[in-house]
Amino acid sequence: MSQFEYLRRVSIGQYLPLDSPIHRMDPRAKIIGFSFLIIAISISNNLYSLALALLVSAILIAASRIPFSFAARGLLPPLPFLLLIALLQLVITPHTETSAAMFGVWRITIYSEGIFAALRLLLRFTSLLLILTTLTSSLSTIEMINGLDLLLKPLHQIGVPTENAVLLVQLTLRFIPFLALNAEKIAKSQASRGAKWDTPNGNLITHVQQIVPLVIPLFITSLRQAENLSTAMLARGFASSTARTSMHTYRFTLRDGVFLLLLLISTAGILFLF
Amino acid sequence: MAALINILNASFKYHPQHSEPILALSNISLTIQSGEFTAIIGANGSGKSTLGKLLNALLIPDSGVVQIQGMDTRDPGNHAAIRAQIGMIFQRPQDQIVAITVEEDTAFGPGNLGLPANEIRDRVAFALSASGLIDIRIRPSYLLSAGETQRLALAGVLAMQPLCLIFDETTAMLDPAGREMVMEQAKALHRQGTTILFITHLMEEAAQAERVIVLDKGKIVMDGSPRQVFNQNIEEIGLEKPIALTASRMLQPFIPSLPDDILTKEDLFNHIPQYEGNQPPPHARKRTTPTQSNITAKNLSYTYMLGTPLEHQALDNLSISIGSGNMHGLIGATGSGKSTLLQHFNGLLRAQSGTLSVFGMDLNNRKLDIRSLRQRVGLSFQQPENQIFNQYVGDEVAYAARQLGHSGTLENAVRSAMEAVGLDFFVYKDRLTYTLSGGELRKTALASALVTNPDILLLDEPLAGLDPLSRKEVMGFFKSMHDTGLTMAFSTHQFDGIIGKMDAVTVLQSGKDIIHGAPTDIFSTKGSKLPHALKPPFAVELCAVLKERGWPVPAGIAQLSVIIKMVAEKTKRAQT
Repeated sequence: MSQFEYLRRVSIGQYLPLDSPIHRMDPRAKIIGFSFLIIAISISNNLYSLALALLVSAILIAASRIPFSFAARGLLPPLPFLLLIALLQLVITPHTETSAAMFGVWRITIYSEGIFAALRLLLRFTSLLLILTTLTSSLSTIEMINGLDLLLKPLHQIGVPTENAVLLVQLTLRFIPFLALNAEKIAKSQASRGAKWDTPNGNLITHVQQIVPLVIPLFITSLRQAENLSTAMLARGFASSTARTSMHTYRFTLRDGVFLLLLLISTAGILFLF
Repeated sequence: MAALINILNASFKYHPQHSEPILALSNISLTIQSGEFTAIIGANGSGKSTLGKLLNALLIPDSGVVQIQGMDTRDPGNHAAIRAQIGMIFQRPQDQIVAITVEEDTAFGPGNLGLPANEIRDRVAFALSASGLIDIRIRPSYLLSAGETQRLALAGVLAMQPLCLIFDETTAMLDPAGREMVMEQAKALHRQGTTILFITHLMEEAAQAERVIVLDKGKIVMDGSPRQVFNQNIEEIGLEKPIALTASRMLQPFIPSLPDDILTKEDLFNHIPQYEGNQPPPHARKRTTPTQSNITAKNLSYTYMLGTPLEHQALDNLSISIGSGNMHGLIGATGSGKSTLLQHFNGLLRAQSGTLSVFGMDLNNRKLDIRSLRQRVGLSFQQPENQIFNQYVGDEVAYAARQLGHSGTLENAVRSAMEAVGLDFFVYKDRLTYTLSGGELRKTALASALVTNPDILLLDEPLAGLDPLSRKEVMGFFKSMHDTGLTMAFSTHQFDGIIGKMDAVTVLQSGKDIIHGAPTDIFSTKGSKLPHALKPPFAVELCAVLKERGWPVPAGIAQLSVIIKMVAEKTKRAQT
């Protein structure tokens, strides 16, 4: 492995081009449905509701054919923090007079409230992360952009320039991996001429000393690329006629409707069932 | 009806900040009719790209008129119609990609034309099939290889179905198969009635056009058929004749039956006569003596994006040994693993499996002092504009010396490195790096790898995208470095003209080392094993044709001058 593969660390656009029922759904249904699920999971505070949320997210992952190992890897980076917070919840959650002490460790007594609070926290974050993984791996950036475009159409009617805003989002996303690649090239060029990039024992100051000579040429290359890109866009007819059109026509079919309905029912279940 | 393109007395100046305006085109007049196939050639800075940009209204002439089908580019109201008719593919394909996926990027142009969705989908499908990208249409655009990015840039313009297509040095970075593909595509479009303007550094490509326009210092100096143009003394303005013409001029004293007007290699090969003289007895071929090896790699494997769904293998169980003082060629198509391999040799990438030792240092040893290795192993990356990060040429060249130390004073180290590559120290040390031309950028990059006085120089595609003059200069630099005993590992897919001078060659395909040997061996006995994307060099093909017609020459000679010498000897012997 090389520490120069910056692209490997860019998690945005980790779209998995699989062929699954979830992947085939209309982006609007996915954006709306998943947003409601995320809100429900965030505000629900019942252990059973959150267990149901975990079940729903597991079903969604299975239906979208994302490998469980891939989804699980997304849980690893925040895991230490989650466990730490869960541990704190375990100890500091206030308990009522009547609740029984479950067990005691050293001078700390653990009450059932603490256990439930820690469990709720773990369930909430696990299901949230799984739902987000499902969404980002089944919704390509293009679908997201087109979905947002369609959902924002009403705003366009009243004169908000949504088209350009959506193009801006698209260009930004397109530039992220290119920035990573540019940074990689410059860092490699500096390292191969003796800059201390991959030599061990760097402290904060040497890190800062590395970053500054990287950032300035990165800006210069990126500005030059942006200039070339704008020329290429103009050459391909951008901004010379009035109405841009898209190759995508999304038809909101019955199947999409059923899918959205199922997601909304799950949302309602999480919020009101228990 | 008006001509497709009509330029009358057009001039154009660039106005850089803090310096004098640069005259790019001066008083150009030119008419191009619908359906022509025109090549535009000229040295770096002769105004070729500026001319291209005037034609689709990206630049407006300072004086004079540019009309497309009678529409004046000075009127912004015409721009939409002009850009729908004149498509343009630029030098750096990666800077032309707008969208995140292949398909979506292709749809950008037609979307700008305001076409209905089903029409856009048809055009996208057509353009992607025509450029061979249909199977990867949903791939993220940043994960394409250089060749695929180039084809995507082409697809994006094809989808607009323009009347005229301008190729602005589109082929400069492609491997031989990629170049041929672009040329074939240009020809196919031309047969269907598209007007083609082909801006190029490669005279072999220009020779295939119907009309060649030569620019020098912003003026049209020649305009005619390839035959007319290449029969003139174009070397004076930093260009060269197509290699088939050069070879036929060299052969003519010995084979007088060759006609004067040969342009393409097919032409030349058809005119090579049967050999009439006696067959001499075959003699044993000279073997290269094995030298001590500086770099030894065994069973290297490397996978990018390892552990993600986007992982792809670049090196696959590759073994190689590079001899001391050798000029060692790594040849292979785009994406065959050449750059990845070179970046292992100075420890930028560490082997995921296998072993690698350079000067006896074990690169798998994590505690290795990597900087002392890098002082002895200089690396010059492909596309110098991506590796140059200082404002001034002097600082850029001095960087490695400042980091890693140098012998003598810093100024002397920088000066001798710059002069070794042919950059005058006093002229260039205070030049801003972003004002350099392609050839100057390459030389700066070479000097900055040379400044620490390395024992090995790693060169990644050092000849790609250079105009004939800079190419000649850079090749001269390699020769003089070779004479000093510097070890060089050299990745290239444009090996015509250089391969004959190499001591050893390794052919890479899909990350594997498939053939090792001297250049002569590679193209004679094992020629059939060559990957499809690699065409044998011109000299080897000429050699094969001579052999086929009975000439007593050994197979696989990759140096034109050696072949000419042999033909000269044979004809002399036949006459006496």
